[in-house]
Amino acid sequence: MFTLFKKELDYYLNNAVGYIVVILFAVFVNFLYVKDIFLNGSVSMKSFFGIIPWLFLIFIPAITMRAFSEEKRLNTIELLLTLPVSEAQIVIAKFFTYIVLVMLALLLTFSLPASFYYLAHIYLPEVIVGYAGAVLMGASFIAIAMYFSTLTKNQIVSFLSSLLVLFVLLGISSDLLSTLLPKFIQDMLVYFSPIYHFQNFAKGIVDLRSVYYFVSIAVLFLFLTVVNLEKRD
Amino acid sequence: MISVDKVTKKFKDKTALHNVTFEAKKGEIVGFLGPNGAGKTTTMRIILGYLTPTSGSVKINGLNPQEDRIKILSSVGYLPENNPLYPEMKVKEYIQFIASLKKEKNVDDILTAVALKEVLNTKIEELSRGYKQRVGLAAALCGNPDILMLDEPTSGLDPIEQEKIRDLIKKLSKNKTIIFSTHILSEIEEIADKVIIIHRGNKVFDGFKPKKKGAVATLFKKVVKD
Repeated sequence: MFTLFKKELDYYLNNAVGYIVVILFAVFVNFLYVKDIFLNGSVSMKSFFGIIPWLFLIFIPAITMRAFSEEKRLNTIELLLTLPVSEAQIVIAKFFTYIVLVMLALLLTFSLPASFYYLAHIYLPEVIVGYAGAVLMGASFIAIAMYFSTLTKNQIVSFLSSLLVLFVLLGISSDLLSTLLPKFIQDMLVYFSPIYHFQNFAKGIVDLRSVYYFVSIAVLFLFLTVVNLEKRD
Repeated sequence: MISVDKVTKKFKDKTALHNVTFEAKKGEIVGFLGPNGAGKTTTMRIILGYLTPTSGSVKINGLNPQEDRIKILSSVGYLPENNPLYPEMKVKEYIQFIASLKKEKNVDDILTAVALKEVLNTKIEELSRGYKQRVGLAAALCGNPDILMLDEPTSGLDPIEQEKIRDLIKKLSKNKTIIFSTHILSEIEEIADKVIIIHRGNKVFDGFKPKKKGAVATLFKKVVKD
């Protein structure tokens, strides 16, 4: 499995596209956060972590869109599946490659919180829990996007379909929806929103229910991805 | 040994293979002959466990590809139709990737056998079709497989490259069971010990290659017409 993981990671490390996407993510996060600081006139990690889910909405479908759609287009999926590796090993190797990319992208955003730790004395454990939550949320988004990339040979279709689904998930807890839906439905739906669960981490709280939520989504969609790969007829 | 027993494969309402039965013994070179769309690739994919037969069974050295796919694939080398490769990888990286998955240690010997050493640091996308085919063959040879399955190994190559690939297959055939598919009649005459002709999903001939020159063509015309 390590061989597969290394091959996938090498693709991004030897490819300008990988660097561009990761750097763009970091640039946008830093830019939007600094803009927020100047608008609010105060340093708060809340706005920093508020940006992350919405940038993941673009970033994660962008890095995962080729996961299986490109393998299908080139028919290298047949090559992979006629080598002595299981479908689950292929899926897990790709999943961890994307986790590493998300971690790299998040690492590039760490300079601002790190400077504010010295300048504004923000509470560091809160920041670390927030980052851990971002990785967990990223993992669940990756699993969803990988599943959608098994459904098509077209990278653009894969990108747009996972973007749409993630947008709906993020939109569940939006203010717009709360004005449109009855309160009891809104209360029920909000539990399915990644933002609702990520907010706990952003506050520095490790809520096991939120951990369970992100892990469940990741496991469910990775399982569905494996099932889809097993369907070849 | 490969044993295919009454295999039928249906895709929705289309029957791609119908009740196909044959055997390939150790050391035999079996030529799989048939027009495009006859069912050659489907048969190969079923043997490898990539596709599941609708009915019937396949055994490779006594193992069922559906149940022991990974174990079987460790001892089978496969060159898929149209030779899918990772274009962005260098030849060396690609062969090392496959060798690592198939636990092959003598990569150098393979690269020498298929004459790839001069393009080791070239990206696959920059190679000629002939060289790409050699890369696919090298990948199929990793892990010292007992069985080689080559799906149209000379397809799309010019006559000189075709000849080179055929020579390579003959050279590699010692102690291996080779099943190769083709629609080129002369290829069967030159390489195969045994011929299996598939037409519209049915096996229409299974036997040793006729020795007389041109006999395969006559046989093919006869059974495909019938």
